[in-house]
Amino acid sequence: MSEAKHKFAFYLGCIAPNRYPGCESASIKAMKKLGVELVPLKGASCCPAPGAFGSIDLNVFYAMAARNLVLAEQMKMDIALLCNGCYKSIWEVNHKLKHNKDLRDGVNEVLKEIDMEYKGTINVYHTAELLYNDKFIGVDKVRDSVTNPLTGARIAVHYGCHLTKPHKDREFEKEVMLNTEHPTWMEELVAALGATPVEYRNKMQCCGAGGGVRGYDIVHALDIANEKLINLKEVKVDALTDICPFCQLQFDRGQIEIKEKFGVSYDLPVLHYAELLGLAQGMSPQELGLDLHGISCEPFLQKVL
Amino acid sequence: MEAKKEVKHEAPAKQETKMQAPATVSSTTKQEARIGVFICHCGTNIAGSMDIPAVQEYAKTIPNVAYVDNYKYMCSMPGQAVINKAIKDNKLTGVVVAACSPRLHEPTFRTATKEGGLNPFRFEMANIREQNSWVHMHDQQGSTEKAKDAIRIAVAKASLLQDLFPKAVPVEKAAMVVGAGVAGMQAALDLANAGIKTYLIESSPSIGGRMSQLDKTFPTLDCSQCILTPKMVDVGRAPNIELMTWSEVDAVEGYIGNFDVTIRKKARGVLTPAEAEARGIVGGGCNGCGDCEVVCPVVKPNDFEVGMKPRKAIYINHPQVVPLIYTIDWNSCIKCGLCVTACGPEKKAIDLEQKDEFVKVKVGTAILATGFDIFPVEKKAEWGYKKYENVITSLEFERLICASGPTGGHLVRPSDGETPKRVAFVLCAASRDNTGNGKPYCSRFCCMYSLKHAHQIIEKIPGCTPYIFYMDIRSFGKMYEEFYYRIQDEGAKFIRGRVANILEDPVTKNLHVHADDTLLDRPVDMDVDLVVLAAAVQPMEDTNRTRKLFGVSCSMDGWLLEAHPKLNPCGTTTAGVFLAGVCQGPKDIPDTVASAEGAASAASIPIHKGEVELEPYFAMCIEEKCAGCGMCVNLCPYSALALVEKEGRQVMQVTEAKCKGCGTCGGFCPGGAIWMNHFATPQIVAQIDAFLLGGEQ
Repeated sequence: MSEAKHKFAFYLGCIAPNRYPGCESASIKAMKKLGVELVPLKGASCCPAPGAFGSIDLNVFYAMAARNLVLAEQMKMDIALLCNGCYKSIWEVNHKLKHNKDLRDGVNEVLKEIDMEYKGTINVYHTAELLYNDKFIGVDKVRDSVTNPLTGARIAVHYGCHLTKPHKDREFEKEVMLNTEHPTWMEELVAALGATPVEYRNKMQCCGAGGGVRGYDIVHALDIANEKLINLKEVKVDALTDICPFCQLQFDRGQIEIKEKFGVSYDLPVLHYAELLGLAQGMSPQELGLDLHGISCEPFLQKVL
Repeated sequence: MEAKKEVKHEAPAKQETKMQAPATVSSTTKQEARIGVFICHCGTNIAGSMDIPAVQEYAKTIPNVAYVDNYKYMCSMPGQAVINKAIKDNKLTGVVVAACSPRLHEPTFRTATKEGGLNPFRFEMANIREQNSWVHMHDQQGSTEKAKDAIRIAVAKASLLQDLFPKAVPVEKAAMVVGAGVAGMQAALDLANAGIKTYLIESSPSIGGRMSQLDKTFPTLDCSQCILTPKMVDVGRAPNIELMTWSEVDAVEGYIGNFDVTIRKKARGVLTPAEAEARGIVGGGCNGCGDCEVVCPVVKPNDFEVGMKPRKAIYINHPQVVPLIYTIDWNSCIKCGLCVTACGPEKKAIDLEQKDEFVKVKVGTAILATGFDIFPVEKKAEWGYKKYENVITSLEFERLICASGPTGGHLVRPSDGETPKRVAFVLCAASRDNTGNGKPYCSRFCCMYSLKHAHQIIEKIPGCTPYIFYMDIRSFGKMYEEFYYRIQDEGAKFIRGRVANILEDPVTKNLHVHADDTLLDRPVDMDVDLVVLAAAVQPMEDTNRTRKLFGVSCSMDGWLLEAHPKLNPCGTTTAGVFLAGVCQGPKDIPDTVASAEGAASAASIPIHKGEVELEPYFAMCIEEKCAGCGMCVNLCPYSALALVEKEGRQVMQVTEAKCKGCGTCGGFCPGGAIWMNHFATPQIVAQIDAFLLGGEQ
């Protein structure tokens, strides 16, 4: 393997390593084939969760996110992460601290206690953004890396909220990604793997988990997820793909909970895009930890392998 | 006193005034200045925020001040009489009034000064209201001190003012109107009926503008075409109107009374009967028979029908066009020549090789009536216009409900041609929008036409319900509120709340309108068949180019700027150029016509008067100091300066009528050879000294 063109400090977050380790391994291995090396960001804490922390004490929220940013600054690397919630916390705090001196001074006051200082020297990217942006990888390279095309699979995309919203606070380098009402760039990435991307009713609706809703009122949260699952059933897809482990948890584990609480079952496999990419590049389901999913991926795997 | 001097606009600048300038300055400075200071209370507007007696006592101590007085309303007749009397009794040489902004009452006090026997330009105003008492309302001491400064500075200038005489220039007895929508047509008809030759310039192939695209008008429900067509016909045959369609203003030179305008007559590819006759084709030219259209093989969308109907490459927009002359769309014409054959050897109306022509005309005044365009509402992605087939704009609705429109007046869903039963109207679609992706202003007529649309579907489609999503219903005009109640009674449903987003059902192509009902305080998810967006309006794309040609400013949102929003809504800061209709800001049809009549009246005044007085603030060249370097010539934004040969050397010369007194040349001239009347260097320096030295000169 040739020397990686780009290196990033890889921020894992909480759900990916604990619930869906396949996302982590798939990201590291698949991205390496595309010339991007993800170096573990050692000592990182919770991002912290934007809903849970951000709505209770902003100072703690800023300081914790800033600490994670400083760890990457010390590595002299930009951060790559694979979760929309982490993106909201770490990208947005980085953006705010870079542009607001008072806030930065306040955060540095706190960081001083652990001999750290936020300098604002790095950028933060979502791995999906790295895959789509031809400055790093781009759709063409993704397509070229496919050895096991997912031909015939009908796959719907769930974008998740925190990556794209609020629109006024997002500054993607690719202009296409700024269309946050009707985005289609993820569909391009799905098509690059040989699968058929499928549009469905109310695509941009929330998964129902974020903002502390899943923790606070699970029935309400599941009701929102259930509505999306009804809409997905309508267009008969083989799998749902996401770019956020928390959304993935909501749709994957959530289907079991929906079955318990509402008595409906969908049996729709839910895969992080990194897992799909891994499959398309020839990684085995075991290597991707797909057997750890709540909803069996078998029917989907039979179709594409 | 005041000598009116005949100035021919082409003639070189008057020499005697030029020589006089430095001489007058020295005589003014030598003569003992006796200045009268008059302090206005403006009721409590000024007196309520400062100590007038203290200001008056201070004014008495300023050098050259011979008389000080104050009055409750200086602008009133008794107030002016105080000035008049004081000038005579005290042999004053200059007058300072400390009151409001000169934009408001400078003309009043100049007249008072003149009536007292002084040259009106011996007057100077100190603004102690807008720039003082109003902004320092709660700082009595501060505003009193600031008023003292303002008066001291004004006295310093008044002591050095000289007599000036406005020039009169003759006015060409012709006018121009740019844009032939309802505003431009009305203005042109009024001017023509007042006996003024009027050039009416329209950039599209036919006249009528936006109003001709509408089906009915609110609140009377008149058929728009029926009331407009007679006006269009009148315009077409008025002997005083020279109608130039498919034409654009290319260049403008000159000033009020004498604008030289170059018009680009775009190549139509089709000759009018007059043009044909000029080429010796007797009885030829286009008679609108349409034989050419039948054979033309190229099909394009018709812009007049908002792209919902086809037209050929040789086309007219609709059957009632004025003038009834076909036009070739050069971007799609393949020059196959079939139309030439169909037109035949008698008419010979089609010329596939026609080129643009330039025509020069001279006019005294001009009216801009360039109208509006629709905001590209697809930029508001949350509503899905141009993404969802059944989301349309109000203009598209007008064409769909119009008997002469693409569906013969049957309102149908674009996705399947079915008649809708539930129609949502989204008001303020990008109007009153502060997100940065929209317009902050109210587009003013969308509430009313949406009410009209609701009425039309109730009337035409039994069982169809309109749902109007609104922020406020602004039914402000005569009989408008009554119309609103009528539509409520007819069964339209009103939901107060902005539409957050619209989602399409991928199977039925129905639409889910999501909003917050702010009266019931609950979210709404409404399933409808059709959504009509009442999109914001914005200036035409070409407006900016046109306004620059005429030297007219625009406000932040691009609408053309009037001279005063209340007291001079049709005028502009460029003398002789006026505004009519929506190019100045959103207006419904009654307001548009009223503004057009106002503009026509204003534009006819200088023409009927026959001559206009120009402010004598022009620059003058002090020839003995001028080195003839010519650097000022290129700096002048009004092309008023030139170098001429005088006694064997080059000197600068000013065309006074073109000079606006901006001072660019005067401030720049390295030799100090340019004298700015009324804003001369010694006068300005005296003001600066008076300010910095606190009166200790």
